This record gives sequence, structure tokens and C-alpha cells, in this order.
Amino acid sequence: MSEELLRVENLHADVEEKEILKGINLVVNKGETHVLMGPNGAGKSTLDNCIMGNPEYKVTEGKILFGGEDITRLKADARARKGIFMSFQAPQEVPGVTMEDFLRVCKKNLTGENIRYFAFHKELAATMKALDMDDSYASRYLNVGFSGGEKKKAEIVQMLTLNPTFAMLDETDSGLDVDAVRVVSEGIRRFKTDENSLLIITHNTKILEDLKVDFVHVLYDGKIIKTGGPELVDYINENGFAELIREGE
Amino acid sequence: MNSSIYDFRYETHASFETDAGLTPEIVEQISKEKNDPDWMREFRLKSLEIYQKTAVPNWGPPLDGLNMDQIITYVRPDTPMRGKWSEVPDDIKNTFERLGIPDAEQKSLAGVGAQYDSEVVYHNVKDEVARQGVVYTDMESALRGPYADLVKEKFMHLVPPTDHKFAALHGAVWSGGSFVYVPAGVHVDIPLQSYFRLNAAGAGQFEHTLIIVEPGAYLHFIEGCSAPKYNVANLHAGCVELYVGKGARLRYSTIENWSKNMYNLNTKRALVEDDGIMEWVSGSFGSHISYLYPMTILKGNNSHMDFTGITFAGKTQALDTGAKVVHNGRNTSSHISTKSISKDGGICVYRSEVIIGKDAIGAKSSVNCDSLMLDSKSRSDTIPAMDVRNADSDVGHEAKIGRISDEAIFYLMSRGLSEEDARAMIVSGFAEPVAKELPLEYAVEMNNLIKLEMDGSTF
Amino acid sequence: MGEQNILKVNPLPTLTWNHLMLNFANLPLESGSQVKADIPSEFDGIETGMGEEFVSFVENHAAAVRVIRAGKGQDLGVIRDENAGTSSEVILIDAGEDSQVTFYSHASEKACPGTQMTRLVKVIARAGARVTVIQSQTLGDDVMAADDFGAVVGDEARVHLIQAELGGKAAFAGGCAALKGYKADFTEETIYFGDGSRRLDFSYVTRHTGKKTTTSILASGALFGSSDKVYRGSMDFIHGCSKSKGREAENVLLFSKEARNRSIPLILCDEEDVDGQHAASIGKINKDLMYYLQSRGLTESQARQLAVESRFNPVIDEIPDESVRQEIHASLERRMNLD
Repeated sequence: MSEELLRVENLHADVEEKEILKGINLVVNKGETHVLMGPNGAGKSTLDNCIMGNPEYKVTEGKILFGGEDITRLKADARARKGIFMSFQAPQEVPGVTMEDFLRVCKKNLTGENIRYFAFHKELAATMKALDMDDSYASRYLNVGFSGGEKKKAEIVQMLTLNPTFAMLDETDSGLDVDAVRVVSEGIRRFKTDENSLLIITHNTKILEDLKVDFVHVLYDGKIIKTGGPELVDYINENGFAELIREGE
Repeated sequence: MNSSIYDFRYETHASFETDAGLTPEIVEQISKEKNDPDWMREFRLKSLEIYQKTAVPNWGPPLDGLNMDQIITYVRPDTPMRGKWSEVPDDIKNTFERLGIPDAEQKSLAGVGAQYDSEVVYHNVKDEVARQGVVYTDMESALRGPYADLVKEKFMHLVPPTDHKFAALHGAVWSGGSFVYVPAGVHVDIPLQSYFRLNAAGAGQFEHTLIIVEPGAYLHFIEGCSAPKYNVANLHAGCVELYVGKGARLRYSTIENWSKNMYNLNTKRALVEDDGIMEWVSGSFGSHISYLYPMTILKGNNSHMDFTGITFAGKTQALDTGAKVVHNGRNTSSHISTKSISKDGGICVYRSEVIIGKDAIGAKSSVNCDSLMLDSKSRSDTIPAMDVRNADSDVGHEAKIGRISDEAIFYLMSRGLSEEDARAMIVSGFAEPVAKELPLEYAVEMNNLIKLEMDGSTF
Repeated sequence: MGEQNILKVNPLPTLTWNHLMLNFANLPLESGSQVKADIPSEFDGIETGMGEEFVSFVENHAAAVRVIRAGKGQDLGVIRDENAGTSSEVILIDAGEDSQVTFYSHASEKACPGTQMTRLVKVIARAGARVTVIQSQTLGDDVMAADDFGAVVGDEARVHLIQAELGGKAAFAGGCAALKGYKADFTEETIYFGDGSRRLDFSYVTRHTGKKTTTSILASGALFGSSDKVYRGSMDFIHGCSKSKGREAENVLLFSKEARNRSIPLILCDEEDVDGQHAASIGKINKDLMYYLQSRGLTESQARQLAVESRFNPVIDEIPDESVRQEIHASLERRMNLD
């Protein structure tokens, strides 16, 4: 019997007073990998942001449970401390704060332990190397002047370093060349264990090739209109969303 | 860390206090007490005349709270000059210890000329620096020492008493301060440091700093200030004059943290000869009102100036800071980069002037100023002036004002930082370009000051 | 001939060092016969760029006062100023809700008989109105010119001001917009040309009080001869104007070692949730550009002319009158060839 990690119940959410999510139901168990697909504007990123607790996204109805606990009203930092992580489509630039210092502070904050400087430095360098990222980025200001691809990789470095139990990857593959997609995909595979779960938003199925996908959800107009197994990815690749949308309506 | 570290005082044992007001008699008295040479006595009286004729500025933050008639301008602590640390009275020593001066000594810093009230009480120059021929002494000694003629030639030559009312006041009542002479070609490896401090209630501080860096020499001078809190308005009208010789380089760093009732009306000016480099690093955190615009005159060809500054104004503070530069030599260049942070009703004003003279062919100047507003009770103004008088020059200016974006806070919070920590982290990142120009212990002190101001932060 | 007056104009919204001589300018004007203009009261108290002394002078000596009213939803199209170049005129525009007005006034050397010319335009742009005002001049070198503008901008109204100061013995110009409405917008574009010993003196102020108000202030100029220019551009974000945004930029090309340029771009702010930026670039023409143009066979003077016109053209092109545009190009060409 698998253990439930995340439960989203009848979630409705507004962005700038416009309803984007119109009743989402979703359960992610420990160890599972879920993929979220759907046309632009369907509400995929909105769902991620609601789970992470972005105050710009207002939950108007329904709730989000994590490990059985209602987290719908928790702030983003409290959710992060419970083990939720989101990789941003467009990560913020933070001038003056190096990536390494930032991650050390975050890690200390999340684990409550003192982080040993040199051990952390080595571990971070190894993680970056595995992602084919020059370790000089560690001493650069967080995301400042990073190219689109470097920003995406840096998000995966953060995920691997902070080691969350539930990670959401929002179009982590967009803007990456073929080699980079492979490297990032490999990083995600390395992260994945039986103890943690993934929710991946993607248009590009390349990133999924090395991963064992358990469920695929198709989101359209704020609702999940279809849920299936990994075979649904191939179906969408061949046929697009049009047929599914017609069925849904 | 808590604010009491920056907020302590001891009873003073003043041996001599002047009347509260300012008259020629008082100035004569000061001059006599200090055993001034004749020219200096006359200089003081002349300055007093100018002071009395000059109006307070019609621009800038209000000076209404300042009443010179109420300010005891000169307080001499109950100790004569000391050569050795062991002979300094205990209460003064305790004050210094809490400011960290002996520690700084132990860290093999070059020299300390610490000022207690208006008198230099402790002064020490490391043997190695003296052996290089570097003179580091208090201004009073310099007036009578082997460099007396040089001092007479340079004293208030860059900042004449006619410059503004508080320069005139300084000329009349100045007391204490440092004199540094670096001979040609000498590279002083360790920074020279000086701590200034105000004590007795209502006392003004008028220290004079005169630094001469001869051709090809290098010096880093660090000025740090902190003062205890009093209810009576306090005035600081110091004066700093810097002479940078041909091919010489001078870096002048200041972290200023006066108590929140101080009127800080300080004047700093540098003159740079051919190929010389002047670097300013300036952090303004304290005082009630500040007027501070270090000025550089790029007289020599190919001379250069860099100014890096940060100003943080909190509750009850109006900090009017910036820089001035005058390009006169050919192919001169200047770069001004400032950051300001306004919080809890604090007011930051960035004010500057860049003047490109007629003969400054090939001059280049760039100004960058960023202002951060942390709430809507506060205020931030940017007032940069440029005056370009020749066509063969390039002057650029950029300024930005804004707040910390909600997106940036959410991003950091999604990594587990509390909202307070996220804001504090963004603010210290904002200040980082200044911190990285400071020696490590000062950068740490500055970061601590920022965290202290960003109350609630724990990271 | 009337009496000589020295007016304090173009005041900086906050003071700075007096020795810079930027806190205000002195404008010498002769006063003709005292004619108290009949100004409808709704136009009282509208702040202009050149300031109160100028406004009260002009309103007391106005040779012509014209009131333009656009009713709700009315589109008045393009209105030409037939009196442009007369000694003193006041134009008052009350643009009703969702109305549209474009008013342009061009004073050429031929049109101006006297030695001074003043124009004052005040605008009330009510909710949703679109108002464009263009003041251009290519006056002769003996004329003292002054162009002033003030607007109050309502909810989602848009006001666009263009000033082209290309001639005159001296040219003073100013503009001010009070952005009171939600999403009120003000766009201002200035081009100026200095040659001979022309004095140019500008002051622009935007007062943001409404939420989500936006401004863009752009100035582009070229200085030849011993011309002397002062530019003040101030964005004032007033407490409560949350989510407002302002952009200000000035580009100045200097062509003569006798020319002098002073600029003071201000941001005043006591509201946290705003985004303000200004930039200034002052200096000589890009050498690479000059080289490139000359390598294509242009003479140095043609290349300079091209560089200046390429900066001015986007603004000149907004003037809705082909003959005015041609006259401006001819004037610039003549002045740059004389240099």
C-alpha cells in the first residue's frame, strides 16, 4: 500500500481576480512521478504555484494536504520546510548573494543543522559537475547574468542540494539544448528515490525518457480532463491535445 | 547582536569647558589652550568672522534642530597626551575596548589615533610604518613638528573656510584629527585606522584630517565612527583634506555610525595630480541629519576617481549623501556608484555634481545610483547634477528606484527562508558591492549593522 | 516697447547647491499692455513646468486666449494654431471623457514679427481622454521664446506633449503633468538644437498621485557653437501612487568645445511600490558611427547632420503637417551647414 504524500481537493484559484483553476483533484503518493501536460494557459504553472504558496495566486475553494496536514494557508517558507520544492520557469536574480552562500543558508534553515563550510563546498561542486555546470557559478551572484539554460540547471542544483520530498519541475527543459536536456534528465533521475515524489510540467518528452513515469494528467481550462499512464505521453506526442479536449467536453 | 553595543557611555571628567555660545573670546581661548602658532590663531578668528557672515544652506534636510548657541563646542577630557596604552585612564580605555580598538591593535593594524571628545588621547604608529618614513600623528603635533610648514601650506587650502558655514565653523574651532605623510614611492601595506568618537552631552566634534600621499606612494586610510546616544543635539563638522601626488593612490574608507541625534556636516575633499588614483568607500548608517559629499578634483592628466557608497536611513534619519567630482585634467575618469536604503520613515537623498571643465579633453564619467524603498513611510530622492563644458567628453548617468519585488521574496521563501530573512538577504545583497570594497572586519561590521537595521532577521 | 521683467522660471522641485545655478532660471521678458486674460476657473491652479511667475505673467499679458472644449466621446481631430508666433498666447484645452484632441502650434521665423514669443497650454484630460499637444519653433536668432505646458490627467487618460525648440536667441520650455487618475499616462518628448550663443532652458515635472500612473520623458539634443543648455527633468512619486512607473532619458550630443550642457534628472519618491529610472548620456558623437558614415562617402558635416536628424526624426515625424516637417528639416539643415 503506497503512502499518500500530496492531496489536492477541489482546488479553485484566482490570478488577478480571474479564475484559473476550476476544481483540481490530484493525489501523489510517496515514490511516484507524475507528469502534467496541457496547452498553454491551462493552469499548469498556477497549480504548481498554489502548491508552493505563491501569494499572487489566491485559493478560493478547496484545499491542499501534504503528509495528511492541511497546508492551504501556510506561507511558502513553511511549505519549503515541510519538504516541498518548486523549480521556477523564470528564477529570480538576486544580486550580491552568491549561489553557494544562498544554498548554505537555505540548507541550514531546512535541516536546522550547522553546515560545515568545506564539506558543503565539495558537495556542491560535485553536484554542479554532475550537471555539467562550471563550479565557478557557485561563487557568482544567484542567477545574475546566467543564461536561460544555466538558470534551469541551477534550479536542479538547488533541488539536489536541498533534497526535498516533493519536487515540482516547471518546464525545466525549455530553453535547453539536447545535451543539456540529457544532463538535467540524468540529474532528476539521480534525485529520484522511493522516498520522494515528482510533479513535472513539460512540453518536451525527451526529459521523461530516463524516468519511470507513473501517471500523466492532462490539464485543460483549469481542470484535469484525463489521467492515464505513461502511454498517454506518446499519445499526446502523436495526436496533440485536440482530441482529448473534445472528449473532455 | 543588539543595539546596546553601539549605545553606551561613561561619565566624562572634563577639565575645561567653554561657554555654550561662540564668540571671538572663546575662539581665542581655544587657540591659547591649544598653544596654536600665531597664524593659526588668526586663521581661527578669520574663520569665525566668515562663519558669522555665512547663512546655513537653503537646500538639504532641515537644520532647525541645531542651535549653535546651545552647543558646547569644545570639551577636553581629563587626560594629557599619552604615548602608551597602559597609561590611558581606565574609563576611556573601557570605551575604546568596547569599540574594539585594542583588538584592532592586536590584529597588527598600522596605527591608531583615537579621539576621545575633542582631544587626541592615544596615538601610536607601528614601528614598521615609521621606518618607511611615514608620519602618522595628531594634527596638533603636526602643527609644531618637522612638517609644520607643509601643514601651514595645505591646511584648509582644499576646503577654505569660505566653502560653507560649517567649513568656517570648523576653521574657527577645529580640534584633534590626524596628519599622515607618505613619502614618494612608499607603499603602506597595512591600512591606517582612526576611530573618532563623541562623548560629553552637547559637544561638537571638529577633527581635521590632512593626508599627503607623495608621488608613486600608496595608502589606505580607514575612518570609523560610532558615538553614544544623547538627548541634546550633537554636531560633527569635521574636515578631511587629501593630496594625492603624481602616480599615487589613496583609498579612503569610512563606515559612519554616529548616534541617531547627531548632525553630521562633514566636508571631505581630495586633489589628484597626474596619473593619481583616489578611491572612496563610504558607508553612512548613523546620525540624525547628514550632509556628506566627498569631493574629488581631478587636476592632473589621466587621474582617476572611484566612489562607492551606501546609505541606510531608518527612523528619524535624513541622510543627504553623494559625491562631487571636478574634471580638469585631460583624459581623466571618474566612476560613482551608490546604493541607498530607506526604511521606517527614514529619508535618503542622493545628491551629486559632476563637472567636466573646459580643458578636460577626453574626460569620462559615469554615475550609477540605486535606491531601495523598504516601506511607504520612507522617502528617497535622487538629485544628480551634471555640468559638461567640453565636447570631447563622455558623461553617463543612470538611476533606479524601486522596492524588493514580491516575486523575489516568494522565490527565496520557496527555498525555506522566512519573509524577514528573505528581505534581509536581498538588502545585504544590494549592499554587497560596497561590502566587497571594505576590509573583511569592516565588511562584517557593516553587514551586522544592516541586519540590526533589518530587525527580526536571523540568517 | 514695454518694461523689462526678470521672471524666475523653470524652478527645480527641490533645491540643490546654489552655485550650480540650476534651482531656477531668469527669463527676461518685456511686458506690453496689461491685458488680463479671461481664464475659466477650472484652469486655475494647474501646475506648469515653467512655474507660477511665468503663468501669471502670460495670463496678464495674453494677446490671444483660446479655449478648446471636447465633449464626452468627441473626436476633434487635429487643430492647428493659426496664431502661432504672435507675441503671447494662452491655449486652454478641456478634453471631456473619452474625447480626443490633437493641437499643434509651430512658430517659424517668418511668422514671428517681434522679439519675443510666449505660448502657454493648459490641459484638463478627463477620464479616458487622449490629448496630444505639439509646440515647435524655428524662430530667428533675435527672438526670446518661451513654451509652457501644464496638464491634469484623469483616470486612464493619456496626454502626450512634444516640444521642439530649434531656434531663437534663447528658448525656455517647460511641462508638468499632474497624474491624478488611475492609470493616467503622460508621454513627453523634447528635441532641442543649440547653435550660435543660444540659451536653452528646460524643466519637466511629473507628479504621480494616482495608482498605476505611467510617464515617459525623453529629451534629445545637439549643441553647437557656444550654446548653453540646462535640462531639469523630475519625476515625483507621491505617497499613495502605488504601482506607478516612470522612465526618463536624455541624450545630448556636443559638437563644440564652447558649448555647455547642464542636466539634472531628479527622482523624488515617498511611495514604496513604484518603479522609477532615469538615464542621461552626454558627450561627443560616436566615432565609429562617424567613420562608418564617412566610409560611405558622406562628408563630416553630412555625417553629423545625419546623426542629429536620426535622433530628431522620430519626434519630428509625429508633427501632423508635412509643410511644418519640411520647414523644420530645412531649418536644421541650414543651421548645421552654417556651423
